[in-house]
Amino acid sequence: MVSEDLHISDQELLQAADGELPTRRAGQVRAHLAACWGCRVRMADIEGSIADFVRGHRQTLESRLPSSDGPRALLRAHLKELAHDTKVHSWRWFPPLASATRIAALFVAVLTAALMGSVLVEHSILHGPHGNVASIESGTLPERNLTPGATRSVAISEVCSMPHEEVVREVPDSVRREVLREYRITDARPDDYEIDYLIAPGLGGAEDIHNLWPEPFDSERWNAHVKDALEERLHELVCSGNLDLSTAQHDIATDWIAAYKKYFHTDMPLSLHSYIGAATNGPNHNQA
Amino acid sequence: MEMPEDMYSIDSIDELAFPTPAVAEIEAMPSQIEFVVMQLFDHYRHPLLRYALSLGISVHDAEEVTQEVFLALFRHLQLGRPRNNLRGWIFRVAHNLALKQRYANQSSRDRMDSGETIAEQQLDPSPSPEEHLSSAQRQRRLLAVVQALPEEDQNCLRLRAEGLRYREIASVLGMSLGSVSISLTRSIARLIRADGR
Repeated sequence: MVSEDLHISDQELLQAADGELPTRRAGQVRAHLAACWGCRVRMADIEGSIADFVRGHRQTLESRLPSSDGPRALLRAHLKELAHDTKVHSWRWFPPLASATRIAALFVAVLTAALMGSVLVEHSILHGPHGNVASIESGTLPERNLTPGATRSVAISEVCSMPHEEVVREVPDSVRREVLREYRITDARPDDYEIDYLIAPGLGGAEDIHNLWPEPFDSERWNAHVKDALEERLHELVCSGNLDLSTAQHDIATDWIAAYKKYFHTDMPLSLHSYIGAATNGPNHNQA
Repeated sequence: MEMPEDMYSIDSIDELAFPTPAVAEIEAMPSQIEFVVMQLFDHYRHPLLRYALSLGISVHDAEEVTQEVFLALFRHLQLGRPRNNLRGWIFRVAHNLALKQRYANQSSRDRMDSGETIAEQQLDPSPSPEEHLSSAQRQRRLLAVVQALPEEDQNCLRLRAEGLRYREIASVLGMSLGSVSISLTRSIARLIRADGR
């Protein structure tokens, strides 16, 4: 309850003006403003300064902006090139999963697998690849002697000035073949495995055979998407100053599944949520 | 390729940064993604350029950053990555690329095409006695005050000026929602004081 004697803080006035207050509180602030000339004057000052700043900001910069015709044509040409390339331009081999049908199919498949084999799958994660169900999850962790992880010398500013999507890159075919050979995989199809970085480039990981392993796409639970989510989480934590880069590299290299559980505070992967539209997408969510 | 108008709504991305089901269900077909990316380019090119320029890079560099952002967006959508908070994602990539470019420029001393950046357009914050508070003068003074703010506060303010919600600003700058709110309040208080209100 807001008393008319208790004035609204500038922060709440600004939040109210920006539509950032919870509905109930916004109603209380509106009621107070209706009764309080003093707060209305302060609100007018806030709005006036915002208006002046926005006009100045736009007018100063707008005059410097070139026509969009050339850049638009250039972008369209680049997109055409990408669109006509049948191969996805990525280090990933994962086929696009975007339609509602595919999402639903994935959801049902994973849910079924989770219901039928959750205990055994968990066992396989914890105790290694043994038995039929365990084989589903084999390969979700790299063989430590082959892939201990490798980093490159990199500054925090470099890591944090580049979005994760930009620093991951396609693993050359020659390296891919070498990794598969190391893991004694001789009959793999391109869509059987993703050659994954143990320590992602966005965390200072090197494109080195000791930092790459074949991650199977048929992993039901701890798959490449889950690891992607972990990489992005760690990148955000490092760049927001909440985690040392070296700690992030150590944790993901030692046991990325354990790291996922640690930094997402969960024993189950949340990445399935991203396919049903409920995943969070910012460092302010589920902050470690 | 012409798409039905109800296939995709730009406004749906602006509105609280949450996608409509239509956005979430865009097929990962290159032609459809290309269409969406071009729509977003038309919608966000100017805001992105303004924001990139305000970070102190040249027009040429800002234009390149913008191109990279939308090429990255194409790949992002093609890979079926999350489409929620796309506007925040777009500005975050632009922010990171622009800072990277700025670092590169600083280290190489290869400054801007004209040598003129927003950061260098320092205006005298103190008005002359005869300077009346006309609208233009007030704007100049406010912009000078903004230049004197901590960089994070400047970025919050400029992203808000481009229409981003607090949650989106938080995701772009890696801040908490509370920190965004405090930063904006602090900056607005400085502007009000400078304006003599």
